[in-house]
Amino acid sequence: MTIPNPHISEPLREAHRAGGPVLAALLRSDTAAAILDLRAPHRPVLAVNAAMEALTDTAKGALVGQGTDTLWLPGTRSDTLVRLGHALDGGPAADGEVPGLRHGVAGTPLKVFIAPFGTEAAFAIATFTPLESRAAATEAQLTAATERLRLTLDVAGSAGSWDWDIRARRLTADDRFAALYGLDPEQAASGLPQSVFFSVIHPQDRPRIQMAVAGIVEGAELFSKEFRVRAPDGSWRWVHARGRSHPDEAGEPIRFTGILVDITDQKRISERLRIAQTAGGIGTFEYVEGFGTATVSRQFCELLGLHTASVLPVKTINALVCAGHVFLADAHADGGERSASIETRIRRADDGEVRWLARRGEFVEDAETDGVRFVGVVYDITETKLAEAYLQNLNETLEERVEQRTQERDRVWSLSRDLFATCAMDGTIRQANPAWLDMLGYAPGEIVGTRLEVLVHDEDRAGLKDHYASLRKGFATHDLDVRFRHRDGSDRWINWTLTPETEVFHGIGRDVSQRKVLEDQLRQAQKMEAVGQLTGGIAHDFNNLLTGIIGSLDLMQTRMAQGRHDTLERYAKAAMTSANRAAALTHRLLAFARRQPLDPKPVNANQLVTSMEELLRRTMAENIRLELVTSGGLWLTLCDPHQLESAILNLAINARDAMPDGGVLTIETANAHLDSAYAAAQTDVEPGQYVAICVSDTGTGMPADIIAQAFDPFFTTKPIGQGTGLGLSMVYGFAKQSQGHVRIYSEVGQGTTLKIYLPRYHGDVEAEAAHGGLGDIRRADSGETVLVVEDEPVVRALILDVLEDQGYTVLEAVDGPSGLKILESARRIDLLVTDVGLPGINGRQLADYARSFRPSLKILFITGYAENAAIASGFLDPGMEMITKPFAVEALATRIRRMIESSPVGS
Amino acid sequence: MSYDIDLSDLERDALTELVNIGVSRSAASLRKMVGEQVLLSVPSVEVMSRKAAATLVGEREADQLVAVQQTFEGVFAGRALLIFPEASSLELVRAVAGDELSGEDLIDIENEALAETGNVVLNGCLATMANMLQRSLTMSLPQVLRGDGALLFAAREESDREGLVLFLYINFSIRHRDIRGYIAMLMDVPSLAALKQLIRSFIERVTAESEAGTSSAASG
Repeated sequence: MTIPNPHISEPLREAHRAGGPVLAALLRSDTAAAILDLRAPHRPVLAVNAAMEALTDTAKGALVGQGTDTLWLPGTRSDTLVRLGHALDGGPAADGEVPGLRHGVAGTPLKVFIAPFGTEAAFAIATFTPLESRAAATEAQLTAATERLRLTLDVAGSAGSWDWDIRARRLTADDRFAALYGLDPEQAASGLPQSVFFSVIHPQDRPRIQMAVAGIVEGAELFSKEFRVRAPDGSWRWVHARGRSHPDEAGEPIRFTGILVDITDQKRISERLRIAQTAGGIGTFEYVEGFGTATVSRQFCELLGLHTASVLPVKTINALVCAGHVFLADAHADGGERSASIETRIRRADDGEVRWLARRGEFVEDAETDGVRFVGVVYDITETKLAEAYLQNLNETLEERVEQRTQERDRVWSLSRDLFATCAMDGTIRQANPAWLDMLGYAPGEIVGTRLEVLVHDEDRAGLKDHYASLRKGFATHDLDVRFRHRDGSDRWINWTLTPETEVFHGIGRDVSQRKVLEDQLRQAQKMEAVGQLTGGIAHDFNNLLTGIIGSLDLMQTRMAQGRHDTLERYAKAAMTSANRAAALTHRLLAFARRQPLDPKPVNANQLVTSMEELLRRTMAENIRLELVTSGGLWLTLCDPHQLESAILNLAINARDAMPDGGVLTIETANAHLDSAYAAAQTDVEPGQYVAICVSDTGTGMPADIIAQAFDPFFTTKPIGQGTGLGLSMVYGFAKQSQGHVRIYSEVGQGTTLKIYLPRYHGDVEAEAAHGGLGDIRRADSGETVLVVEDEPVVRALILDVLEDQGYTVLEAVDGPSGLKILESARRIDLLVTDVGLPGINGRQLADYARSFRPSLKILFITGYAENAAIASGFLDPGMEMITKPFAVEALATRIRRMIESSPVGS
Repeated sequence: MSYDIDLSDLERDALTELVNIGVSRSAASLRKMVGEQVLLSVPSVEVMSRKAAATLVGEREADQLVAVQQTFEGVFAGRALLIFPEASSLELVRAVAGDELSGEDLIDIENEALAETGNVVLNGCLATMANMLQRSLTMSLPQVLRGDGALLFAAREESDREGLVLFLYINFSIRHRDIRGYIAMLMDVPSLAALKQLIRSFIERVTAESEAGTSSAASG
């Protein structure tokens, strides 16, 4: 029934007509309701009832005309909006929750129901019910349901149960099942389609469970599966469903019942345990003593190389243990000492590999059997064991090695023929080996406590003791040759190696007496050979020369007897030539011996070399070209010019002989500065400024081994009779004696260069006194007296003759003492001419003594043999000069004249 | 010629269920024989070589083994073994023949009882599987064997040598008696391939049914 009302719009009237009395009744009810116009945009409200105005707390008519979607607050679920939207589009009726209305009880969730009505769904009725009131209404029911759930859980533990009617294809379940599955408990209790069973199962598990259920439907009796279900809160829960089928009398399954247990926690724990076992390689197992089987984990089986099983016979496990090792599942039921921690060796069942396993665990009282249950783990310790074994082996072999070494050392100690000793730092022998008895006649026991040096030859004792000091400083001594006295009094040469250690030093001594003897013998033999060679050579040369001298003198005598004086001079000249050559030969010998009396003078090497040019050219063969290269600004050097000439000539002759097929001989002079680096690389060379004279040839050259011997005396590459082998050694001797040195550079096929380095002289060249014949020398003034001391009568007579010829008063003495007597007399003596080498008192001593009371006495030494100090500047004091034998008569006369005429000593 | 005989997880599950159905049928038959509740279940199925099967049994069973053997022919062929540890076999015989029998009597009838029990279990199992797979099999008479795994799985013929073993671990539960045993089916490769094919069609059938059921439930 409709009430005409001027305020009622035409659409509302139309709605009322379409809605009829049902709409009217609804509008009058306590349910908040609104009529909506679905044809107009925004579906405006046509009318609301009093309950709606009360709910929204709005004035009458305030909501009319508002769009439907402005009625409620935003935040409605989108699927709800879609469904409500469908309803507002004239689709099927829909309901849904909205978060609240914009007016009145805003914010209170509401249930909205929209149902289109009228021709072509032109209108809709919307009802709004606060959810709270609904909740309040169902609170009692809910409480009852919760109580039921609680009771169910109490009864069934944590398990939910189901009952599946196979023929009706329906499933009933209890509250706990419903709770796990997120089902309405009431619906679950009253029955649901059987597909509900699979609805929340994880897709990965579903086919497996479908298969198992199919098995039940087809006649399988037992069902026991684990799978995941999605809980109402969205999480995945692991459940274990265990069930069985119930057949009818014909044996066909009609019901499938079972219980569902949440095993998520259990699963998580066992998963952790599994991961722990796998990751840690730890297998778990347990067994009760006396029972035949053990419960084992998968990892346990893997460790033993067994097929995966959950239960294994104890026998199977123990059968893998290697003989002699402890059983893994041992049974010490006899009450003996029981160790839960054992290590044992097993042979893996699959690959036969032998491994070490450790077992750890606990023995606990088993509640079920009153026995002892072992619960434990095993893990592989093979690597550890191997490492242990390796280390142990290392240790053992170390000891073994040390022992072996010790034995070896002991053997060496007692068997060696060398002397071994350990001494305190002061030389006290602490230990000695048996070799002492054999070598020196002392048993080790006799000499322990004795000082080492006590056994040493007197002369060598100090030398040995000197080494103690360096041993104390930590320096070892090698190759120390010391004579030790044998018990029988004979000496043994012992070559020692002494090595210090903290408190003591160790010595190893080898008997080298034999070697020493051989060395001496060899040295003697070499000396004799050298002397033989030398004397042979000299004798040969002298014989030649003497033949000339004797022959000439013989002829002279004959001619004089015949009175043929015309040819005397020829023979005299021949004799003189031979004698001069003999003098040159002795000079060379002395040069080699480095005992030649040198008469060093400032020398200009350029002049010297140039003056030799003619001589050299004559000496060289036709096919050898001589080149002289003299350096400008060449320094002076101090040396004996005659010796230098001789050296250059020697080298030139060697060069000539090295160039049998011709070549170039180059003689070159140069200034040389030898720095300390060069000097350090050489032996016996002082750094400094030198004059170098180089003699080079383009000849055959010398290999290194020849160069090494080139300076050795008597070494020669020339055929016997062609050379004395003294050439180079004489050059070497001269250079050394002149504080210079010689270097040799040679290459086979390229040639040889010899360089003589002579020290630079800072000074001027003395003017050379012109030589003249004996007749040119000024005769002595009257009374000028010369004392001649010479033990050789021929020489003495010769000198006396010369001096008397020159008009001197001459006194003579045959030796030092008689000379001294004359000197001590008051006689006038202007000059003492004395031989250096005199018997009794030598020339030098005589001179010194004479000077003590005749301080201004001038002295001329005559010598054929310069002692070491002959050339030293200290030897010849002012007023002293020296002339070497053999000398020319006129040279002697000239020298004496010059000395007497020279200014007095000390003026 | 190569055969696809590797079972997927799902195929193995399906095979486990097939055997489960089979042994359930056997259990029902046994139940009638012993007049007691008999439960049989198959927790796992494996396909392995003869040698592996022999060592596996050897590892798990320290005792002598007793086996009932039957050969079968059909779409797949081979021999089936129901294997017990010796101790379990006596227990089984006692359960079937009754506890009141003396030891001697028990030994007298042991073979007979075992053959009968084996026949029930294997026949039920194989027949059901064949049925489920919609094929038929012919079974020989049962035969009792004793020995270790190596002996039981020894190849009979040259053609057997390459064969594989379908190895099932089964749990018997007879009125509080714990009896464990194994079912082994020795088949050649072609037979296994044929079996795998059948299993796949079984899976398709079952999942299709379930999906159909699920969708109809959702719409209803």
